Order: sequence, then structure tokens, then C-alpha cells
Amino acid sequence: MSVRPAHRIATIGVVSGAVLLIALLALPVGALVIRGGVDGLRQLGSDIELRRSLTLTAFTATTATLVTILLGTPLAYLLARDRLPGGSFIDALVELPLLIPHPVAGIALLLAFGRASPAGAALARIGLGIVGSPVGIGLAMLFVAAPLYVSAARESIGRVDRRYEDVARTLGDSHWRAVRRVTLPLAGRGLFAAAVVMWARAVSEFGAIVILTYNPKVASVLSYDRFTAFGLDAALPVAAVLVLLALVPLLVLRSLRANTRSIEQLT
Amino acid sequence: MIALERLSSRAGTFELRDVSVVLPKGAWGIVLGPAGSGKTTLLETIAGVRDASGGRVLLRGADATALPPECRHIGMVYQHGYLFPHLTVEQNISYGAADVRAAREMATRLGADAFAGRAVTSLSGGERQIVALARALAPNPDILLLDEPFAALDPRRRVRVRSELRRLQRERGTTVLHVTHDFVEAGTLGDLAMVLDNGRLSQVGTPEAVFRKPASGAVADFIGADNVYSGTIVRSGVIEAPEMGTLSFSGNGLELAGVGDHPGGAGHAVIRGEDVVLARRQPNPSSVRNVLHGRIVEVAPDGVLARVAIAIGSTTLVAIITQASATELGLAQGESVVASVKATAVHLC
Repeated sequence: MSVRPAHRIATIGVVSGAVLLIALLALPVGALVIRGGVDGLRQLGSDIELRRSLTLTAFTATTATLVTILLGTPLAYLLARDRLPGGSFIDALVELPLLIPHPVAGIALLLAFGRASPAGAALARIGLGIVGSPVGIGLAMLFVAAPLYVSAARESIGRVDRRYEDVARTLGDSHWRAVRRVTLPLAGRGLFAAAVVMWARAVSEFGAIVILTYNPKVASVLSYDRFTAFGLDAALPVAAVLVLLALVPLLVLRSLRANTRSIEQLT
Repeated sequence: MIALERLSSRAGTFELRDVSVVLPKGAWGIVLGPAGSGKTTLLETIAGVRDASGGRVLLRGADATALPPECRHIGMVYQHGYLFPHLTVEQNISYGAADVRAAREMATRLGADAFAGRAVTSLSGGERQIVALARALAPNPDILLLDEPFAALDPRRRVRVRSELRRLQRERGTTVLHVTHDFVEAGTLGDLAMVLDNGRLSQVGTPEAVFRKPASGAVADFIGADNVYSGTIVRSGVIEAPEMGTLSFSGNGLELAGVGDHPGGAGHAVIRGEDVVLARRQPNPSSVRNVLHGRIVEVAPDGVLARVAIAIGSTTLVAIITQASATELGLAQGESVVASVKATAVHLC
């Protein structure tokens, strides 16, 4: 008899907690879009600096993502198939940038690839200086967001039963040919989703970039710059456009998940 | 030809140990064994997709232990098929084939052409197995490893695919190593049968020998022998060949006479249900050495046969007789009965 009221109280507690968290997440985003969304979209037509900044952001994030796909997919494969000696150490090393405060990541990059370092000097000689350049922006994006790609790609490859590869090898494929013809296509959706997550994270990066390259400004730096120089009203449209841009990868991911689920049901 | 010399391999904590066997060119070998005994590990080690931790794999007379799978020219079919889901049925079958014609010919022979245009994800379990077989055979391998390839086929299709595969194997002289749980399949197809138990080879011989004369109580249990008893075997004399002796067995409350090459000591007595003769009264003096009196516990019809369970002291003896005999003798639960078993039908191991 006493179960019913207790059950009701527990239900109210669970629902209230969920509603509170949703409100905490949705309110700031909603307020930003409502107050600055229309102005932001209108400014896209007239504000050249905003357009340039968005183009730069998209270009550097895309380049960083493509470089990571090229270098990170083999690493993710080796980690997924336990083919690296000290795999768990490398795993931890790859995920470390996720735990470092992003301005600290910027300082570390400056130390490793700034003009004073041998690597930085060599890069500068071939015109790839990282301070105050799109190269630095891309490097900062790669450093903070590549772990997300490698981690998700490793999971995705790990879900492909290695017996598919084994069968391909008994049919005459070499190891890497079997990976290319079978494993990667089967992990394809997961790899694409991992790339989208990385791209979205790279677009929103601020802390590491601002240490390396204040100018030219990516969108997040432009939003901060306008807030400090001209106040909240000037920063709002840029910030709102960034939020609206973040919706694109979010929608892509949601549709990918829905498709993957329906395919998994079939297989 | 496949020859294994003290082959060992690890799969997690499981270990396949010291497997030695020779399967001649063009022979059909059957691998039997309970779940988890290492049958798939054995096939994978021969195919080269799993490394050997010891011993050697010889294929066509040459050492292939260090060769990668793509250089071993072996076809392999897993129970679950592992068809590539991102490819169509036709693309799957042509995957390793020299040309599309060879793939199409194989698809037609095995009946996979009926669903060639379909997506892999729309196939039934049986259809997948047929496609997996066609895919493995399309590159024309001279060694074929099969891991329960007919398990998901319906009975009619199973007979058709099995006989087509047998025809193909004879035409091409393919050496086949085939894991199955189906004893009828093992008896019909196998030239040689081997029984794996807990990673070790416990018996190698013709399927007939494995089923009639299991090498141990564990093998007898696995092949589903009707009557397996544990006890002590005593050697009591020599008849004809020196290795053959008259033996007596006592255990499970039974005293049995048998013949065989068992050296004596702890062992098992195995009696096939078909070798037990039932009568309502003690038979006239005859050559039968084992005459056992008991009471019927159950008469279970099984098609034209009947499975009769008889309580003899504290143990049970199963006899397989025809339904007609059961009716003629008026066998029913609670009736007393006399069971006779010739000494030569008592296998001691």
C-alpha cells in the first residue's frame, strides 16, 4: 500500500531532475539564438569580417579533419586490433589532449612548434609558421579535436568482426588490401560520424587557438573579440551564427545514427 | 593433402595442443567434438588466420606454417558465413574468383544464382551459407575448410547442396576438412573422422570406427552412445591375435563379458542400443555371453523403431528394436524382460 506514494515521489524526482538539466542546457542556447539569431543571419550578408572569419574557420577545421582522417585512421585500426606494443599507453597518450585545459594546449603547441623550437624553425623556413597563421589554427584544432576522431574511429573499427578480414584473406587479399576492401567500408559510417564530431569540435575551439593565432580571427575568437571590444550586443550575432552552425553536424549525426540503427536491425 | 605435426595454437585462454593427423589429397575429413573443444581454432590455424604456437602445418607436402592466409590457397567457410554486407550477393561470390564467369558458374551449381541480385542483408541463414560456400569455391581452391556449413539449411536444400558439394569435391580432387555436429553427415561424407576434446585429438579413424569403437568414455558420450558405463576391466585370457583378449567388466552394478585390446584397469563399457536383443524369457542355451534380467522403465516410439529403457539393478540399459518387435513381444512399462548382448558387441575402452 505504501509503495504507490513512494513510487510517485520517485517519478516526480526523476522527471524534475531531467527537466532541470534540459532547462540548464537549452536556456542559454535558446536565449542566444532568440536574441542574436536573426541579426546574425542578416549580418552574414553585410559583415565581411564575419564572413571571412567563418570561411577561415570552416577551411582550417576541414583541413585539420582531413589530415586527422589520413593519419588517425591507421592509428585507430592498429589500436582497435591490438597490434601496437604498449597499446594502452598509446591509447592514454592519444586521449590526453582531451583532459588538458585548452590554453595550456596552446602553450604546449607554442613550445613545441613556435619559432624558438627546432621543429617550429624548420616549419617557418618552408613558410608554415604556426604563430599568427592558418597553419597554427589548424594545428591547434587538430591537437584538441583529433583524439575525438581516433577514439571514435577505434570503436567503430573494433565493432567490425575481424573474421570478415580473415575471410577476405582466405580469398586472396593481403592484410592491408582486406582492411581497405572490407574493414574500412564496414566501419565507414562510424568513421564519417567520428570525422563530423571532430570537425564540430574543431570549429568551436577557442582556448588553444587564441594563444597561437589571435589574427586572422576564427569565429570563436571574433565573437570573444567583439564582446571585449564592443560589448554583449556586438558579440551576440556572431555567437548566434556559431550556434546555428553547430546544428548542422548535430543533424548529420542524428540522421547517421538513425540509418545505422536500421542497418544493424537488418544484419 | 593436409598434414599436421604436433600443431598447437592459442585462442585467449584456450589452447589447442599437439594435434597430429594426415588427411590425404582428395579425402574428406570430419572434425567432431563438443562445443569449445577447439574445432574452429583448428580450422583457423590451418587457414593461417590464427598463428600456430607450436608444431607445423604442411599443405600439399610443403611447410605452410609461416605462410600468410592469402598464400595458402585454402577456401574457408564459417558457420555464420561472414558475407560482406556492403557488397551484393554476386560481388560476394566474385570476391576471390579469377573472373566473373567462374563465380557465376559456381553460383549456378550451388543454386545461389536464384538470389544473385539481392542484398546480403535480405538473405535467410540458409541462403547466406550457400553464398558463403559459392564464394569459397569460386577461386577453385584445392583445400576446403568447412565450419558447420550446412547448419542453417532446411533438410531438402541441405541434401541438394551436400551432394553437389560432394560431386564438386570428387571432380576437382579437393581435400576437405569439415566440422560438423551432424553424425549422419559425418558418416555419409567422411573418409576420416577425428574427435577433438578440450583442445586435444582424442580419436582418429574412419567414421565407422569412431562410432562403433569410441576410444574413450568421453568420445562415447559425445557421439551419443546409448549405453556407456564406468568401471574396472580385467583381462582374462588371449584369443586368436595376441593383442585381443577376453575381458570382463564390472561397474554400475553390471558384470559384462567382452573382447578387445584393453590392457585392463579403469575403463568404460559401451553398448550400442541396436546390439541389445530382448526376449520375455531366458533364451535357450546360446552363444550369448551377457544375459541380463530387468524391468522395462519406458518404451519410447521413434519412427519405425522403439527405444526401450530397462532397469537392471541400479542402472539402465537402452535397447533399440523395431516397433513391430516391441508390439509382438508386448513390451510395456513395468514388464520384466531379458536383455542379451554378445561379448563382441561390448566395446571396452
